[in-house]
Amino acid sequence: MSTPLLLLLCLCATSALAHELHHEVSQAQAVVIRLTYGDDTPFAFEAYEIYPEGGKLPAQVGRTDAQGRVAFLPPQAGRWRVKTWSEDGHGLEFTLETGVGTTPAAEDRPLYERHGRIVAGVALILGLFGVLNLYLKRKKS
Amino acid sequence: MHLPDGFLSPQTYLPAYGLAAGLWWLAARRLRRTLDAERLPWLAAVTALAFVLMMLALPLPGGSSVHATGVALLAVNFGVWTAFLAISLVLALQALLFGVGGVTALAVNALALGLLGSAAAWLAWRAVQPVHEVLALILAGWVSMVVPAAIIALVLGIQPAIAHDAAGRPLFFPFGLAVTLPAVLIPHALLGLGEGLLTWLGTLTLKRLRLRHAV
Repeated sequence: MSTPLLLLLCLCATSALAHELHHEVSQAQAVVIRLTYGDDTPFAFEAYEIYPEGGKLPAQVGRTDAQGRVAFLPPQAGRWRVKTWSEDGHGLEFTLETGVGTTPAAEDRPLYERHGRIVAGVALILGLFGVLNLYLKRKKS
Repeated sequence: MHLPDGFLSPQTYLPAYGLAAGLWWLAARRLRRTLDAERLPWLAAVTALAFVLMMLALPLPGGSSVHATGVALLAVNFGVWTAFLAISLVLALQALLFGVGGVTALAVNALALGLLGSAAAWLAWRAVQPVHEVLALILAGWVSMVVPAAIIALVLGIQPAIAHDAAGRPLFFPFGLAVTLPAVLIPHALLGLGEGLLTWLGTLTLKRLRLRHAV
């Protein structure tokens, strides 16, 4: 066999090796984001994207698991924008901050928890209409 | 049916805010002329009810959730423009204070639910009322759910076409009309029946309470 042919065969073998996939199993600490509907039903198997703050390319994309969870291993400390959506128009966009050795804190959270929010909202609406009522009475008199 | 932030492109929500601002101003002027102290407590109560209904999500088979709105109840009992303002107030409170629905999407949500939902409900009720009062109220509730759902599905479904990068990747909501129309319309067409019953029973209760209060 001629030397050039032998070299070509060797090159082909290297190229074939490059298509091999390897796997490695390890444990690492991840940020776990749980997404639910208002009634606590998991936002399951829906799409999400996580972007570094100001970045246009996502650091991670995928779908939530059956419990509506996303496991995210931030490549570095910083702020991350999480976008998630379903085909029927449900979704959410929020930011979270991850640091070294700190518990990540989700931001843009609502001010009150669910039941408190409902009561506060009703009180606000009735209060606004009360003010409107005073205005009407004043106008009449 | 509340669209959150990040789903709509500025090409969508900025014109929607322009249109909604003009219509809010018109509605406020009209309300100032027509509202009286006798109707105000009832309007306050039904607006508060609409807020509660929109905050209570009902689980659907398949993992999604829906909620009633009270749009038709407001439209039938207080008129389209008043319903538009009341629903806009509810949506604004939810978006600004409680993180339900997006601030950027507020105008689209208000136009779809508050204005077009109310107008559709009122028209359906007026068209069928001479024939059958109960059917008219149920139909009003149903269309108040289906018409806004169709508009929301359309607005979502055109996002990939109007806002994408050079490679054609959607920058905002990623699914087209073929996905959004069935995904949004089918559950809301079913929920519309519940909204219809709510409109009928709500209107009945409201009439009785108003009569009792008048006596």
